[in-house]
Amino acid sequence: MASLLPIPEIEPSPEISPEFQLKKRRKTEEKPASYHRMQGNQRMNRWRTRREQQIYSSKLIEALRRRSPRTSSSANGNDVRDTAYRVLAVSAKGTTHWSRAILISRLSAKMRKHKKAKVSANWKLRKPAAAGNSENRKMPAVERKLIALGRLVPGCRKLSFSNLLEETSDYIAALEMQVRAMTAVTEFLTVGNDGGTQSPADPLGPNVNS
Amino acid sequence: MSSRRSGGSRMSDDQIADLVSKLQRLIPELRGRRSNKASASKVLQETCNYIRNLHREVEDLSDRLSQLLASADTDTDQAAILTTLLI
Repeated sequence: MASLLPIPEIEPSPEISPEFQLKKRRKTEEKPASYHRMQGNQRMNRWRTRREQQIYSSKLIEALRRRSPRTSSSANGNDVRDTAYRVLAVSAKGTTHWSRAILISRLSAKMRKHKKAKVSANWKLRKPAAAGNSENRKMPAVERKLIALGRLVPGCRKLSFSNLLEETSDYIAALEMQVRAMTAVTEFLTVGNDGGTQSPADPLGPNVNS
Repeated sequence: MSSRRSGGSRMSDDQIADLVSKLQRLIPELRGRRSNKASASKVLQETCNYIRNLHREVEDLSDRLSQLLASADTDTDQAAILTTLLI
């Protein structure tokens, strides 16, 4: 029996590695698909840890702070969103298709902006038949939905069924973490702005009648 | 059953059902019910909807965040430090 490779390069959070070892002992199949699934489970659970969320929050804030002096404090919603996705993809450490696709598309978008090349090149390559024409190939509803799903998850249009589901699971877990982190940061900043816990030098603030 | 539809999927139906059920467990919509009720089509549909919802939430949060950052430039340094420590 070919033994599986030892533990992959993902950093072992204490709440994850015993679970991973348990899974390794249980599923000693030889097919690489199941190995990826195991790895996928561990990857997916990583997005649920508090530590990962903290890392993401701090990286996001750092990236946003670095950006705003350059864009002359006109922090666009789209810029924030792009930064958020980029930081999320970086946090995935290049282990998933969608994270690599996000980073690659950012790179090529930046180069396209400088060189003023045709942006629509990618869209023309996409076959119109893939848009859901219920002609010959795409009649089963499951097929159509699979394609729609492949379009939603970045970089996953041509994956096999099992890989696509794998990527989807990880992508959903990552998105949930992103929403949690951004919500926490937003609430924190809101409280900071309105509550005035860090009131600047305001001599007339609390001193009313004393 | 011939599984030649999706470009050479050599998996058995059991494996497909297993993956679909695994995906179903992630979708909050479908988690409450008994897991063997949802068909693959419904699971995929709900997955697409859920991802779209998450995208929209991220968009809204990005807008709010950008407004907050724009309106409080001098405080962002302090806020940033505090956030990384407390969250």
